[in-house]
Amino acid sequence: MDAATRALLTGSLRQALRAGDPRAVDAALAEVGWAEALQEEGPAAVALLFTEQGAANAASGALDDVLTAATGRPGGAFVLPGYGLSAPPAETTAGGRLRARGLGTSRLAHADTAVVVTGAAAHWVSTKDLRVTPVTGVDPELRLVTVEADGLEPSESVPVDWPALRAAGQLAVAYELVAASRAMLELACDHARSRVQFGRPIASFQAVRHRLADSLLAIETAAAAVSVAAERDAADPLLAGMAKAVAGRGARTAARHCQQVLAGIGFTAEHAFHRHLRRILTLDGLLGTARGLTRELGTKLIRTRRVPPAPPL
Amino acid sequence: MDLEEFRAGLDRWLDEHDEALRPAFGPDASFDDEMDHLSTVKRLTFDAGWMRWGWPERVGGLGGSTLMRAYLGEALAARDLIEPGIYSMTEVLAPTMIEFAPPALAAEMVPRLLRGDETWCQGFSEPGTGSNLGSLSCRARPDGAGGWRVTGQKVWTSLAQYAQRCVLLTRTGTPESGNRGITAFFVDMDTPGITVRPIRAIHGRDEFCEVFFDDVPVPDQRRLGEVDGGWAVAMDLLPYERSTSLWHRGAYLRRRLADLLATAPGGALDPEALGAAVQQVFAFHARSRATQYRMAAGERLGPETSIDKLLLGTTEQAVYDLVAETVPERVAVGDDPDSVRWRTGFLYSRAATIYGGSAEIQRNIVARRLLDLGSDR
Repeated sequence: MDAATRALLTGSLRQALRAGDPRAVDAALAEVGWAEALQEEGPAAVALLFTEQGAANAASGALDDVLTAATGRPGGAFVLPGYGLSAPPAETTAGGRLRARGLGTSRLAHADTAVVVTGAAAHWVSTKDLRVTPVTGVDPELRLVTVEADGLEPSESVPVDWPALRAAGQLAVAYELVAASRAMLELACDHARSRVQFGRPIASFQAVRHRLADSLLAIETAAAAVSVAAERDAADPLLAGMAKAVAGRGARTAARHCQQVLAGIGFTAEHAFHRHLRRILTLDGLLGTARGLTRELGTKLIRTRRVPPAPPL
Repeated sequence: MDLEEFRAGLDRWLDEHDEALRPAFGPDASFDDEMDHLSTVKRLTFDAGWMRWGWPERVGGLGGSTLMRAYLGEALAARDLIEPGIYSMTEVLAPTMIEFAPPALAAEMVPRLLRGDETWCQGFSEPGTGSNLGSLSCRARPDGAGGWRVTGQKVWTSLAQYAQRCVLLTRTGTPESGNRGITAFFVDMDTPGITVRPIRAIHGRDEFCEVFFDDVPVPDQRRLGEVDGGWAVAMDLLPYERSTSLWHRGAYLRRRLADLLATAPGGALDPEALGAAVQQVFAFHARSRATQYRMAAGERLGPETSIDKLLLGTTEQAVYDLVAETVPERVAVGDDPDSVRWRTGFLYSRAATIYGGSAEIQRNIVARRLLDLGSDR
């Protein structure tokens, strides 16, 4: 993507993300050609959209688009694993029917079809056959739902590689986590520069400065990991899992420091900080938490006894 | 020569010359042995051409991308053929000479450093000047005949006991002139009036020295940069310290983590702690890799390299904290060569947030320069 195309696309995505509730955002994204951009530009479009989405604290069904596109058949909703889980959300039961337990984004409430994935295949089902319950949780604006279904009969099934699908989704969420973290840091820095105590801005106190510096360290660490993991068109499952974990952990670190610097005002529902905090607490659990992914990685490495290869210079 | 060609050729050459390049001693070797071995590795890689790629032709290099320098140190560290702390001094000192020395001096001296014929040291810190480099007081006065006389003391000077030359920062302005009154010189360490006293460090090595200067004559031809322009020399050097050198160190940490993973007793490794350390090493690799590409593209490295330095410190300590949790008996009471190496590495890792600008100073730089938080007073 050249610089001019990138600037143009960024502008229109940013505009679309301001459309209002998630369903309106989905419609606006469709209007500005998000699906086509995803098709043509792949990871570069994912980086742009999810960065803007995290910065704007916006919600959409774009994660469903990324995941359904990764099955080869874009469109509709995608059933995610339950919060904190990273295994496929569905399994085949007796008689070839499917049983699913997971989460959906806002997309699930207005899509006709949904993709549910078992160990080796993606299955298309009607959303009418799913029991869908709205999630309020810590971040009601995200409009997540829980999904339960038994005895599902898919209209179509195709073989897929779950780790590869999961990796595509993890990178999208990781971009959003990094951008939400940057937004928290910006709020905290603005506050530190303008809030005066003892006759000077609190930004001049080293205890405050070092917390903010540590936040930037956590964010840049995550950004570097995500960017290398997203270098190739087909996301490497191992690198994507590491990047998602680093981004989730970094977001929690940034949130802790920024909230302390924001102090009283950051504890109110009047200041924007809480929206980002709510978002990162939720995003960390989509397609695996930092902690769960880290444990999963460690367990695997103890078995193989080899440090995974990193992309060469 | 492009990076791909360099990588393939070097890997093959390293395979073929492993025996000549591999140290004959174990982890309990003396520092003298290690320095001798480093010279051997530098000479062999220089004579075969590998060490010359990525350096300008006017100082004995063969030109080409700095990525080749990054890869050479990485390959040597990954094969456990060098200790990057002493190897990567070249990456800090040679660029300073290339940028600030009179061209004939750089052309004469830099090849000796690259080939391992000489060791150089860096005289920056002083007893009263640690983090606040601008307050240094080692004095250089005009000798009345066009040259200079240096009197004062340096400390934490790595490798001074082996060095033939020193890149030295001195005070030439008034004591209050701060970073505006500093001048850099390239000093011969065998000049009368220089006394070197090694300091035994916590990990059992004479890691650094005190260096005393008693009315030491230095010709003006050995001045680096402008009179009172030494701050620019110091500032120019620091980003190098945080680019190629850190990449080499990352390769070393990766290697040690792989060694731990391969040899830890069953059940000793905690999955979560291991996973976190591996992720941290990966993230550092990712960050430093982007920095190598920025440097290779000719970008001027600046305060953003403080992030690299902070991340390296955190990563090195994360790796060795994992070592200390996984094989605590080797670190605490083991006396076999492998245990000695784990212990030495663990103890040395505690310095990773101190040397080359402490983690606190890096955070100050991040706050002021990258987050625009204004002055801290």
